[in-house]
Amino acid sequence: MKYDTIIIGGGMSGLVAGIRLRKAGQKVAIVSAGQSALHFNSGSMSLLGHEQGRDVANPLVAIERLHPGHPYSKLGAETIRKYASEVAPLFAEAGVTLKGSAERNHYRLTPIGMFKPAWLTLEGYASVDDPKSLPWGKVLVVNVAGFVDFYPQFIELGLSKAGLECVSRTFILPGLETLRKSATEMRATNIARVLKDEVVLEMASQINSYLKETGSDTVLMPAILGLYDENPIRLLRSKVVKPIHLVSTMPMSVGGMRAQMSLCKYFQKLGGTYLIGDKVTAGRFEDGSLKAVSTQNLGDMPLEADNFILATGSFFSHGLEANPTSIYEPIFGLDVEASEHRPEWCDMDIYKKQNYMQYGVVNDDDFHVFLQGRRIDNLRAVGAVLSGCNSMKEESGGGVSLMTSLKVADDILNGKGGKK
Amino acid sequence: MNYQEQNISANNFEDCIKCTICTVYCPVTPFNPNYPGPKQAGPDGERYRLKKPYFYDEALKYCLNCKRCEVACPSNVKIGDIIQSARIKYTKSKPSLRDTMLANTDFVGTMSSAFAPIVNATLKLKPVKVVLDSVLKIDEHRQFPAYSSQKFTTWYKKEAAQKQDRFANHVSYFHGCYVQYNYPQLGKDLVTVMNAVGYGVHLLEKERCCGVAKIANRLVKEATRDANINLASIRKSVADNRVVLGTSSTCTFTMRDEYPHLLHIDNADVRDDIMLATRFLFNLVDEGKVKLVFRKDFHKRVAYHTPCHMEKLGWSVYSTSLLKMIPGLDFVALDSVCCGIAGTYGFKKENYKYSQEIGSALFKQILSERVDAVATDCETCKWQIEMSTGVHVDNPISIVAQALDVEATMKANGVSI
Amino acid sequence: MDNKFGKKHYDVIVIGGGATGAGTARDCAMRGLKTLLVERFDFTAGATGRNHGLLHSGARYAVTDQESATECIKENMILRRIARHCVEDTGGLFVTLPEDDLDYQKKFVEACMKAGISAEVLDPKEALLIEPAVNKDIIGAVRVPDGAIDPFRLTVANVVSARRDGADVLTYHEVVAFEREQNRLTGVRLRDTRTGEETVEHADLMINAGGIWGHHIAELAGVKVNMFPAKGALLIFGHRVNDVVINRCRKPADADILVPGDTISLIGTTSTRLPYDQIDNMEVTPEEVDILLREGIKIAPSLAYTRILRAYAGVRPLVAADNDPSGRTISRGIVCLDHATRDGLDGFITITGGKLMTYRLMAEWATDLACKKLGRTAKCQTAETPLPGSELDKSYGPEDHKKSHIIELSTDQKAAEGRHGSLSEQIEYKTEDDEALVCECEQVSVGEIKYAIEHLHVGNLINLRRRTRMGMGTCQGELCACRAAGILVNYNKCAERTLRDLSSFINERWKGMYPVSWGETLVEGQFMSWLYEGVCGIDQLARPEDLIDAK
Repeated sequence: MKYDTIIIGGGMSGLVAGIRLRKAGQKVAIVSAGQSALHFNSGSMSLLGHEQGRDVANPLVAIERLHPGHPYSKLGAETIRKYASEVAPLFAEAGVTLKGSAERNHYRLTPIGMFKPAWLTLEGYASVDDPKSLPWGKVLVVNVAGFVDFYPQFIELGLSKAGLECVSRTFILPGLETLRKSATEMRATNIARVLKDEVVLEMASQINSYLKETGSDTVLMPAILGLYDENPIRLLRSKVVKPIHLVSTMPMSVGGMRAQMSLCKYFQKLGGTYLIGDKVTAGRFEDGSLKAVSTQNLGDMPLEADNFILATGSFFSHGLEANPTSIYEPIFGLDVEASEHRPEWCDMDIYKKQNYMQYGVVNDDDFHVFLQGRRIDNLRAVGAVLSGCNSMKEESGGGVSLMTSLKVADDILNGKGGKK
Repeated sequence: MNYQEQNISANNFEDCIKCTICTVYCPVTPFNPNYPGPKQAGPDGERYRLKKPYFYDEALKYCLNCKRCEVACPSNVKIGDIIQSARIKYTKSKPSLRDTMLANTDFVGTMSSAFAPIVNATLKLKPVKVVLDSVLKIDEHRQFPAYSSQKFTTWYKKEAAQKQDRFANHVSYFHGCYVQYNYPQLGKDLVTVMNAVGYGVHLLEKERCCGVAKIANRLVKEATRDANINLASIRKSVADNRVVLGTSSTCTFTMRDEYPHLLHIDNADVRDDIMLATRFLFNLVDEGKVKLVFRKDFHKRVAYHTPCHMEKLGWSVYSTSLLKMIPGLDFVALDSVCCGIAGTYGFKKENYKYSQEIGSALFKQILSERVDAVATDCETCKWQIEMSTGVHVDNPISIVAQALDVEATMKANGVSI
Repeated sequence: MDNKFGKKHYDVIVIGGGATGAGTARDCAMRGLKTLLVERFDFTAGATGRNHGLLHSGARYAVTDQESATECIKENMILRRIARHCVEDTGGLFVTLPEDDLDYQKKFVEACMKAGISAEVLDPKEALLIEPAVNKDIIGAVRVPDGAIDPFRLTVANVVSARRDGADVLTYHEVVAFEREQNRLTGVRLRDTRTGEETVEHADLMINAGGIWGHHIAELAGVKVNMFPAKGALLIFGHRVNDVVINRCRKPADADILVPGDTISLIGTTSTRLPYDQIDNMEVTPEEVDILLREGIKIAPSLAYTRILRAYAGVRPLVAADNDPSGRTISRGIVCLDHATRDGLDGFITITGGKLMTYRLMAEWATDLACKKLGRTAKCQTAETPLPGSELDKSYGPEDHKKSHIIELSTDQKAAEGRHGSLSEQIEYKTEDDEALVCECEQVSVGEIKYAIEHLHVGNLINLRRRTRMGMGTCQGELCACRAAGILVNYNKCAERTLRDLSSFINERWKGMYPVSWGETLVEGQFMSWLYEGVCGIDQLARPEDLIDAK
């Protein structure tokens, strides 16, 4: 089968690039080995949240201070400014509402009541401009009985540090009783399947009665609704008499899954081919370019294309793998930037900088990758598989994925950076 | 050092990193609280079963074997295989009469075809259904597929067999129990389409049920026997340069993947030669080897439903691409979710309720799309969707056959028989 | 400075919450002594929780140390009776590899026989049938009555037993000084290692059961017990690779024992001398990991492709014989010192040396001596009386307490029964919420977590892990730690402390993972970082001093 562009990896990077290319009329296929890391999303994405351990106020300014090998440095602040403004509209087309600005970080409330800098936050999630002066008044924290992945006490602690008064209530919803019987499946995403229409109304009236009882000004609840679309969130917000915000839960992330599904559906609606559960097993390289890739499912019918994008993610998504002696890119054996000395990969303190987090495939200024020192003219990498940034310490994972994807997609469309 | 290069133990359950993505895509867990979910039933449970078989949980029988967990898994864990293997290995009870009956699709089929009118009438009778329900625990709400009075092979031998040798190219056809006993029309459609593009269609020397129902009902010995008979015939066909086409995603998937994974029969030498007819046909067209000419008067709005095993095969791209080639076809992609029947699963009284709940989202979407027909590559999906929505369901090959201008196609491909 | 339990005076204070200390407290309490057990951190935090979990038959020592071998087999048989829920009768094999000397086998079998250990020479083919994980190339095999023992359960069962007989128990209380009157110790000054608060407790007799840390405790008392720490590193594999203990039939050396323990298998150990000041800072080096793997694969080739969950190391307390203060002559046997006769210090006993296998015998010796000194005559019953959880008269059959809507006893109930024996009856499933799983890898329910918090001296997540296996499975706590913290905070009502506890717990888990950070273990580590640092931001709460229990 012949395509204009084949994208390996169906997470946020791959989908955003796919949507961009498809909208420009390219014939695009995405091969995705399983579901993506977006399923663990916090409800927000960040462009650049931390710099030398301190919170960043204006990411666009701080980006200019990054080291030269950083993907952002390759893009340049102006390109990032341009693409950053295009993200929310692109997600909106897919049905995902994002709020925030690249000029100024806001803060999201984490599942344990901490505040972290963020760039874009999903519809309905709790976020504030300044964690030191919270605009919420007295806060009511509600949870569903039997849901073990949300911790009102920790949220209360976080809010009380900012001087807020907090009360918590737990409620039972008849619609959730079947699920509650299951020892393992009372999870955010399963609850979210049930929380729609009448069940949301029921929940709203429960919350309203707690609001009345406690005299609270704002409601916080776990992000357990809005799995397929944002309607249940809107419905709840319209029925609860005070402002209500969602707090992300431990996995799975309902908002992240909604984003994944919405982007995927949108890509397919645009006519893109999304091959889920399939794995690229090998590539046919000729004269410094990749001609075709074979996959597990398609067997002897390889996928040919003019351009390829590697959006396979980090270790979690198996874009990179490690054995006791080396770190490698498992599909093509591309050149990687990583220490060959195992003790250097990790620090024994998990909260210190972990070197392995910034390992990735070697790439040039246009994100072309290399095989045994030779640049591959039509294979570019995007997102977490790239070397050069520690997205955990920088809080830059979402931004790097989005910025590099948009750039690479545009370069392909402009026929830029091809054969030298 | 040549150790720890990969973590791959038997069944690769150790590759599970407990991310729980699989549980999100399991069709059963939201509705049946007794099912522990794919992660618990699969890799988590496997560690405990390895410790002691005592930890086997009978609730694993609620697994549909849809493999959607495997498709979702980012770590390539064969969760469905782990669960089914555990059921085969550890279940203490023998399969019940009901399970044995449901599993023997070919035997029951043979008997029923002979008396089709009587059987069809009887299976619809309320008293019979009540007996099925109370004695055999086959749910009384379940509509049985009708049995055809003429088996596919009978038709084939009478009407088609003699002219197949005259074509330039040849394929074999694994028709499966459904085409044989319930819906010979699909087989006839395949012969029409393949003949039109210059391919003679041949039966395998011997064909038995692919075994999916027997595996699901733990009749492993019987399934293995049938599998070996099928593979022997497939090998002969491949030796004659004839790939083996199927029109059922489940039969095809079973012969390709369940034979080695669950029955531990090595089929590596012929696995790539067993494929769905839509894949074969699409590839012929894609490579420019054949042309399809469609009728101008064909107009239908058709929604495609991806059967679970088709999702696992990763081949819906072929069926949908073929359908999209038909100019008069208004294509609707349905969300890829389970219809709930899962072969014999949905027939069982204890599963009927869950079966319908699982499928409800799909049924709703089908009804809201106001389509003329649903296309799907699986026969049990067809029963389930037709019973639950009243919308007619056809195999993509049948839809291609309906839309095909046979004479023009033959002409375009230089076929003259 | 009040004493904790309002008791003016104890007969004995046992120092050290490992198997020996807990066993001694049990024995003392059973013989009617008013007993206080003190531990500076948590039960099993020292060497007890950091070994192979091997129920030695004694065969390993038969050739080199007949005395230890004889002690082992006797205790082995006793533990099978009194600690049924802590012991798994796996049986053991001593296999000879092609590179090993088969002549050693003859010497080995003879020595076993002499020590009273049954040692049956098997055809290598037969050995492979018994344990398919064994290297197919073995040239010899001997079957011995080895087994697996869970040191966490064993210790806690001894504590529960001691408590039933009236003993008081203080964890997180470190002895910082002794109270004394002339040449007699009269009590201990304790510091709460969480709050820093100090208290004094009095007793006629202090028993030093501090293992390697007993060296320091003796120093506090003003006497010298020369101990030499030997570090042993081990690797934990993700699941059961073998069902039978596999030993290498040769002179004891590195990485020659593979033990199946609960849901996992363990290969160990290495052996290196360690400076005494390093006993609280043990790291497993890359070299140790490589040795363990290289040698382990020789006995069980499948280790070459089995996921490693973590690496850890423990310290053996080797005691210098009294007549050789240089420490060159090391005794592996039990050392029970009456400091009154040895050093002229009254009211102080040290029990050390020995090994997990002989903890009960050590306790018996120490208690015998204590009774003698206190003028009591009660006889030791610990060899006959089953530990709580292992009672013979109680049936804890699976069928009578299954959850209403489940087809059979659920997997977590079966697992809990394995962990707590007959005590698992005390786990309550009051509502459906109690049936929910906290730890999915190790099958720990909300009910079991609550039971452990309420009954088994649990104040933090590490305690909870040691009592229940929560966080010990494949994901190393990444899914369950926060859930458990969410339950724990309902008891301690201190969100701040619980969150810091969670932060240090995650770091403690990582500490065992990073030495083997490749393959899925590295993936798991990255996932863990994403969740706790990335999504939650718990790194902001991490404090170095919170690592107190993670040493």
